[in-house]
Amino acid sequence: MIEKNAYGSMEIRCPKLGHELTFAYCCREAGDLPCARIIRCWESFFPVESFLRETLDAGIWDAFCRQATPDKMTTLLDLIEKAKARRRADRT
Amino acid sequence: MKTMKVLLEDHEIPRQWYNIQADLPTPLRPPLHPATGKPVGPEDLAPIFPMNLIEQEVSSERWIDIPEEVLEKYLIWRPTPLCRARNFEKLLDAPVKIYYKMEGNSPAGSHKPNTAIPQAYYNKVAGVKHLSTETGAGQWGSALSMACQMFGLGCRVFMVKVSYEQKPYRRMMMNVWGAECIPSPSNLTEAGRNVLAEHPDSPGSLGIAISEAIEDAVSHPNAKYSLGSVLNHVMLHQTIIGLEAQKQMEKIGVYPDVVMGCAGGGSNFAGISLPYVRDKIHGKEVKIVGAEPTSCPTLTRGPFAYDFGDLAKMTPLLPMYTLGHDYVPAPIHAGGLRYHGMAPIVSHLVKENLVEARAYHQLDTFEAGVMWARSEGFIPAPETDHVIAAVVDEARRAKEEGKEKVILFNWSGHGMVDLASYDAYLTGKLIPYELPDEEIARALRAIEGFPKP
Repeated sequence: MIEKNAYGSMEIRCPKLGHELTFAYCCREAGDLPCARIIRCWESFFPVESFLRETLDAGIWDAFCRQATPDKMTTLLDLIEKAKARRRADRT
Repeated sequence: MKTMKVLLEDHEIPRQWYNIQADLPTPLRPPLHPATGKPVGPEDLAPIFPMNLIEQEVSSERWIDIPEEVLEKYLIWRPTPLCRARNFEKLLDAPVKIYYKMEGNSPAGSHKPNTAIPQAYYNKVAGVKHLSTETGAGQWGSALSMACQMFGLGCRVFMVKVSYEQKPYRRMMMNVWGAECIPSPSNLTEAGRNVLAEHPDSPGSLGIAISEAIEDAVSHPNAKYSLGSVLNHVMLHQTIIGLEAQKQMEKIGVYPDVVMGCAGGGSNFAGISLPYVRDKIHGKEVKIVGAEPTSCPTLTRGPFAYDFGDLAKMTPLLPMYTLGHDYVPAPIHAGGLRYHGMAPIVSHLVKENLVEARAYHQLDTFEAGVMWARSEGFIPAPETDHVIAAVVDEARRAKEEGKEKVILFNWSGHGMVDLASYDAYLTGKLIPYELPDEEIARALRAIEGFPKP
């Protein structure tokens, strides 16, 4: 049985934010889900995949496997549409 | 006395930016809108960018005049010196002459103000009163804060909360320049409030911060959003770097054999290289190299193809160097690299064989950065270390080939606010990693049936 906080205080340079962060942050970067890059970033340090499989609830693990992070232009277009829809909803 | 720097007088600063789209052998393909599948048009971007910048985004004019008001601000630190790295050359003991554009001497410490300033200016003349953006460690946020102050615009920077708390110096820079730097998630936007309702102690993420910045821009009259990488107009503004370098090298009668830059988000690489890509298109013999980390091997290992940006296939089909939308690291189909698209212009140039990409291990980049600091003095930003590793590699190749080479690269920023990264390297916390070939082959099977650009 792996302890949930076993690696929480380990640090790595985050390529998205540009500074050092703990593994604990990576585990919750996407709200309930770990960061989409967590395995890629950490697999050289310890068996992160098996750690996550063992410590995450099955539903969280499944959602983690399915999460998507689009490129910047896609993100912009998507967020524009959402913001416009929100404005329309506010007006009504 | 040997010359170490080549300078330009203020009046010699280039008066126009160079737009590579005018000279591309085949035109750049526009991104496709996820909702319609049609090319993204100006109207799609109008809610967050002013029309004068959108016009630049889609322009095919070869030269675009730099407004006098922008030149006046550039002149605060530009033209930047073209420096000769004689001490580094001595250390490498290879038949190379190494020149670099010192972009770390801008007020914000990097090349980012080259686009932050014109973006603030164009928004100002379009009647915009307020700009929003997101930032991680704060390099872009601080550059835009300074630019907005210069043109009397309000600036709101949504800084990822964990960065806000752990990286205070650039946040302080933003405050000094009069910007509002807000830890994200915040209560200022619905996107932020939704996150906080569910996770009151959320440390934030770049995804949340960009959501907040765009919502802020769309929700307020006379407000727009600003982005410091990826887009065509950003690459355009950065060409001031390469254009100056061309004038400076001409002054000393030297032309580079190799031009190099770090290809992270594309802007500093584009800045130094695009004017030389033009030369290459017109027959000049020059090798142009983009350096990227091995943890992001899109340019070096993936083919150029239309691909979705996500697993759910809800996003636009973009022409890009890709490892496939379901690319995930070994050994499972989860997590991993999802920012697998390079700036469209840079992807396009690699496809056209005008630019070559090389990947370097994280450890090699820091090793090169430390070598640089111990010979040339300046401590580079960790991103800049990537191109320095490429320079080391090129020098070794020259030595092996017994061939003299002139190398020019973009020293894109200093690392004085990134010393914790060096500490991590020097204390042995960083470990190299390279994606296995079989894993790449597996990932690419996902895009086998897709249209090829």
